[in-house]
Amino acid sequence: MASVRVAVRVRPLSQREKDLSAKVIIHVNGHKTSVLNTKETGEPFGERGKSFSYDFSYDSMNSTSPNFVTQEKIFKDLGTDVLQAAFEGYNACVFAYGQTGSGKSYTMMGNAGDYGLIPRICEGLFHHISGVLQRDKASFHMEVSYFEIYNERVRDLLPSTETQGCELRVREHPKDGAYVEALSKHHVQSYTEVGQLMHEGNRRRATASTGMNHVSSRSHAIFTIRFIKAMFDAELPCETVSKVHLVDLAGSERADATQATGIRLKEGANINRSLVTLGIVISTLADLSIGGGIKRKQNFVPYRDSALTWLLKDSLGGNSKTIMIATISPADVNYSETLNTLRYASRAKNILNKPTVNEDSNVKIIRELQAEIARLKALLSAGNQSPSSQMVSFEQPLGSSVEERLHQDEARVQELTKQWASRWKEIHNILREDTVALRKEGIGVVLDSQMPYLICIDEDLLSTGVVLYHLKEGKTSAGTGGTEPEQDIVLHGEALQREHCVFENQRGAVTLVPLPGARCAINGVEVTQPYLLTQGVNIQLGKATMFHFNHPQEAAQLREKRKSGLFVSSDSTAFSVDTFSHFRKNRVSATALRDRLTRSPV
Amino acid sequence: MADNQSAEWTAVCEKFRLAHELSEIESKKDPENNPFRSKYKARDLLKEIHCSLKKDFEEEGEVDNGADSESSHTVDGEPGNDFGKAYAGDSPAGLRVARLAVLQYHLGVNHIETEELSAGEEHLMTCMKLIDKCTTTRENVSLFIQARNQLGILWAGRDEIENAQGFLEIAESMYLLYMKEDGQPPLDLQDFFVPEGEESSQQEKTRRFEMAYTHTLYYLAQVYKNLQQFERAGQYCHSTLQRQLEYKQFVPLEWAINAATLSQYYITKTRYMEARHCLAAASVIATLAGEIPSEAAAKESEAEFEKREELLQKRAEIARCWIKYCLNLLQDAKKLLEDNVGELDSDRQEELKRARRNEEEEKEKGRKSAILFGSSDTFDSICSLEEKVSSMLPLEFEEARGIFLVGQGYVAQAKEYFEMDGHVTDHIEILQDHSALFKVLAFFEEDMERRCKMHKRRVDMLEPICKDLNAQYYLLICRQLQFELAETYYEMMDLKLAVADKQDQPDVHTIKKFNLLCSSSTRYYQMFLDSVRSPEGKFPEKLEDDLVRPALVAKFRVARLQSKLISSNPASQLENLSLSLESYKFVVQYCEENPEAKNVVETELELSVEMATLLPLKINRIKSTMASAN
Repeated sequence: MASVRVAVRVRPLSQREKDLSAKVIIHVNGHKTSVLNTKETGEPFGERGKSFSYDFSYDSMNSTSPNFVTQEKIFKDLGTDVLQAAFEGYNACVFAYGQTGSGKSYTMMGNAGDYGLIPRICEGLFHHISGVLQRDKASFHMEVSYFEIYNERVRDLLPSTETQGCELRVREHPKDGAYVEALSKHHVQSYTEVGQLMHEGNRRRATASTGMNHVSSRSHAIFTIRFIKAMFDAELPCETVSKVHLVDLAGSERADATQATGIRLKEGANINRSLVTLGIVISTLADLSIGGGIKRKQNFVPYRDSALTWLLKDSLGGNSKTIMIATISPADVNYSETLNTLRYASRAKNILNKPTVNEDSNVKIIRELQAEIARLKALLSAGNQSPSSQMVSFEQPLGSSVEERLHQDEARVQELTKQWASRWKEIHNILREDTVALRKEGIGVVLDSQMPYLICIDEDLLSTGVVLYHLKEGKTSAGTGGTEPEQDIVLHGEALQREHCVFENQRGAVTLVPLPGARCAINGVEVTQPYLLTQGVNIQLGKATMFHFNHPQEAAQLREKRKSGLFVSSDSTAFSVDTFSHFRKNRVSATALRDRLTRSPV
Repeated sequence: MADNQSAEWTAVCEKFRLAHELSEIESKKDPENNPFRSKYKARDLLKEIHCSLKKDFEEEGEVDNGADSESSHTVDGEPGNDFGKAYAGDSPAGLRVARLAVLQYHLGVNHIETEELSAGEEHLMTCMKLIDKCTTTRENVSLFIQARNQLGILWAGRDEIENAQGFLEIAESMYLLYMKEDGQPPLDLQDFFVPEGEESSQQEKTRRFEMAYTHTLYYLAQVYKNLQQFERAGQYCHSTLQRQLEYKQFVPLEWAINAATLSQYYITKTRYMEARHCLAAASVIATLAGEIPSEAAAKESEAEFEKREELLQKRAEIARCWIKYCLNLLQDAKKLLEDNVGELDSDRQEELKRARRNEEEEKEKGRKSAILFGSSDTFDSICSLEEKVSSMLPLEFEEARGIFLVGQGYVAQAKEYFEMDGHVTDHIEILQDHSALFKVLAFFEEDMERRCKMHKRRVDMLEPICKDLNAQYYLLICRQLQFELAETYYEMMDLKLAVADKQDQPDVHTIKKFNLLCSSSTRYYQMFLDSVRSPEGKFPEKLEDDLVRPALVAKFRVARLQSKLISSNPASQLENLSLSLESYKFVVQYCEENPEAKNVVETELELSVEMATLLPLKINRIKSTMASAN
C-alpha cells in the first residue's frame, strides 16, 4: 500500500506583504490551485495563469471566508491516514515543503490553541493507546528521534553524549529497514514529552539569517516516532512496529537549487566553481530520456541527493503512506518561488513513483492458450461424435493432441538441425587458424593440426567452446599471469602459480617443465621434474585445471606402427582410457564434441 | 586615473584585492547564522571603489550612467557588430569603461550570491551596457562573456529559459568569433585592478578565459535541457567534460562520476560507442583520485576513513554503470534478434551478421573522433580499457558471453562495496542486474539444459534474499523479487517441458521435476498476490493503479500453471483444473467490477474469458471418466 498524496495550502497575506501592497495571485478551486502571472510577459494575451491539480488544494487565505481550511480539516484529511497506518503496523511519512515564511511551521506545528498536524498526530497516537490499552490489553512503547541532514551530513538533534557533534551514517538492514547508525532514541509517554524534545531539537537545528529572511532552514529535519505495539493474539505474543517520519524539507529556495531547475548553485559554491552541479544536469538527462514512454531501459544514475533519496527509499519502498504538503504565499511578490513550489509539488508523485515489477512478455503463454482454446472449441463443436477418441486426448498428461505431438516432433527435427548447423559454425570459427584445418568426413568433423597442442578441459560454467593451445617450437609458459612478460597461456584455477610451468617444444619433442612448487600431474601421477609428453596424456595443473595433450605427428606415426603390427598397446599411460577417450584418435566428430560441450559441468 | 602608479591607484588595487579575498576566501568561514557577512563587507568595498572611479569619470565627462540607457532589459545585440560603438576597446577610454564594468560585474555577482537577484541583475545589465559601448578587444572580451554567463544563470533560475538562452548563445558566438579573429590570451577580470606588472601570466589568462567559455557551454547544456532539447544538452555536457579534461580543471572523482552518468544517457540513446568511451574514461580518471587508504589506515584516522569510503563508493558506482552498459547492450541485441515468441530468430541473426560485415567502419570512426576525451597522459589507458569489451550489439553466443563476463566482473566489484549489510537496496539492485545478465545470456544459449542451468543460477542468487527481506520496509523490492522468481521458475518449467518433449516417454523423475518447478512458480506468484492483501488478509476490491496489471497477470499465470500440473490421478487432475478455473474467473470478475482494468490486460482477459467458459467442459469430461471408471 505504498501511496503518495500531495496537498497544497495557501496562507493569508502577511503583514509585510500588505505593507508592500501586494496582490493576491493564487486561486483555489476544488483540487486545483492556479497562479496568475502579473509580471510583464511581453505577450499580454498569452498564457498568464498556470493551473496545477493535486489530491488536495487548501485555501487558508481568509479566516472569515466560508472556504477557509482549518487545521482541523487538514488533520482530518491527511492526519487520520497517518494514524491509521501507524496502528496497522505500516510506516507513514509526512513531508512539508515550501518557501520560508509560507506557513510550513504553522501547518506542521501550529500555535498554542491552534495546533498543527504534528501535535494532532501525536495526540491521536496517545489517545488511541489509552483506548486500546483498556480493550485489548496491549502494551505500547513509543520512542522518538530527531536528526537533520545538512549538506549531506547527518546530525543528531537530540544527542546523547556519544553522538554529540558526531556525523552519523545512514545504513540499511534487511530486517529493520533504513536507520541512522548510533542515533539516540528517547522513550516518551506523553505528548508533552514529545513537544519538549521537538522544541529542544529545533533549537539545535541549523538556521541562518540572511539579508532577505530572518530565519531560513538550510537543512532537512526528520522527526521519527517509533511506535511498538505488543499484545497476545490467540495466546501468541505478537509485536508490530511502525515508524512515522515527519520531515521538514529545507526551505524551497534552497532545495530548488538542487532539484527544481538544477541551475542555481549549491550552498557555498560560488559561480566560478559552479561546475559542481554539472552532475545534476547530466543525471537529469539520463533520467529524462527514459521517462515519457514505457520504461524499456534501465540505467543507473550515480548522482543523487543521497539523504533525500534515503528518505524516499524508506517511506516509499515499503508498506507506507506518504503525504506531502506544499505551502505557498498568495502574494504576487513571491510569484517565482510559489511557481517553483507548485511545480515541485506537481512533480512529486512522478518523482516518487517507481515501477512495481518488470514483467516478462506473456507471448508464449498466449500462444499456448490460444492453441488449447482452439482445441477445446473443436471438441465442443465435434460434440459427442466420437467420445472415446476425445477422451484419449484429455488423458495425455501434457494436454497435447497427437497431431500436435507430431508437429512438435517435426519442429524438434528442425530445431536440432538448426542447432547442429550453428554449432558447427561456431566450432569452425574457433578452430579457423592456419595450423588447424577442419574437414567434414561423413557426418563427423575432423580436426587436422600439424603442431602439438593442448585441449583445455574447462570447468567454466559458460564455456562452450573448445580452447586449443598450440605448443610452438621453443618455450610456451603457463600460469595465472600478471607477470612481465605475460604468460603465453594465462590460466585461472585453484592452486595455480603466477608462473606455473613451461612447455618446451624441441623439434617436435614436447617436455613439461614444472616450476618450483608448482603442482603438475601427468595422467594422475605427480611430476616435479621435466617430463616428456606423449600423445594423448592428460595433464593436470594445480587442483582442477585439466588439459589433454595431442601430438598429431606422433599419433600419425603410432597409427602407422599399429598398422604394421609394431605397436603393442603397452604404453597404457599414453592411451589411458578415460573420460576424454574420444579425443584419442585425434578426431573429433561433431556429435562427440557436442556431447562434450553440453555435458561440460555448469 | 591615467597615472596607474599613483598612491591612489595602489590603494584602489589593495581595496579590490581585499574585496576579492573577503568574497572568495573569508566568506567560507562565515558562521551558519550569518552566512553572508563577508560578502556584505566585500560589497561595501566594491561600492567604495566604484564611487571613486565614477567620480573621476564624471570629472572627465566621459561616461554617462549605463543604467539609464534606454535599451530594453533583455534584448541583447549580436556580437561582432562594432557599428556605433563609442570607444575602441583597447583605447585608454575603453579600458576605463571596462574597469567600471568590471566593478558592476562584481557587484552584480555579489548581490546574486546574497540572494538579492533583482539588484544583481541591474548591476549586470549596467556592466553589459558599458561594454557594449566599446569595440570588442582582448581587454573586454572575457568580461563580455562572463557578464552574459551570469545573466544566463540568473534568467534560467527564474525559469525564463529563452532569455537565458539569448545571453548564453551570444557569449558562445563571441568566443568563437574572438578565437577566429584574434585568439590572443585576453585580459582576465582579475587583471583590471592590479599594480602594473602584477597581471597574470599569458598562460593563466588563457586558462581563465577558457574556463569562462567552459561555463558558457555548461550553462547552455542546462538551458537546452530545460528547453527539452536533450540531444543538444547531451552534446554540451560532453563538450564541458572534454574541456575540463583538456584544461585540467577537474576533480577526478567528480569528473569520473559525471562521465559515468553521461554514459547512462548514451545507453538510453543506444549509442554504445560513446557510452563505452565515457565509462572507460570514468574508470581511468577515477584512478587519478589516488590510492585507496588501507583498512588499517582508515581505522586510524577519520579523514582516511572518509577518503577510503568515498573512493570505494565512487568506484563501485562506476562499476554499476558498466553493468548497465553490458546489460543494455545484451538486451538491445536480444530485442533485435528475437522472434515473435521471444526466441532467437536465426534468419534475423544471419541477416544482421551480413549487415554488420557490410557496415562501413569509416562512419564509426568519424563519429568517434568527435567524442574523444583527449588528454595525452590518459588517452592510451582509456583506449586499452575500451578494448576489453565490445560496443557492437552481440549477434551470437560467444559475443554475448564476452560481454556477459565483463558485466559479471563489474557485478563482483560493485558488490564488494555495496554489501548486503548496510546497503540493502543497492546490493539487491546489483543482484537483480546479475540475474538479468544471466537471463539475457540464456537467450543466446541454444542448449536447453544449459539454459535451464543459467536460470537456476538466477533462482539461487535471488531466493535467499527474498526470504530474508522484511516486506514492511522493502515491499517494493520483495514484490519485484517474488515476481522475478515466479517468472524464472516458469521459464525453467517451460524449458524442462521442451526437453521432456524430446524424450519419447518422459520418466517419472522428469515429471516430478516439472511439477516441482510449476508449484515453485505458483508459490511466488501467490506470495506476490498475498503482498497486496490488507493486514486482515483481504484482497482489495480495487487495486492501486500500478498494481492492476502485475496482479492480474500473476493471477492469469497461476491459472495457467495450475492447469499444467501433471497428474495421473483423475481426482487431483480435477482439483488442479478447478483451481485453474477459479483463477481465470477471478481475472474475469475483477475486470467486470473494475472496467478500467480491461485496457491494461486486454489479451489476458480475452483468454481468461475463453478459458472460464471452456474449462468446465474439460472438467466434466474427467468427471464422467471417473464416474464410468467407478
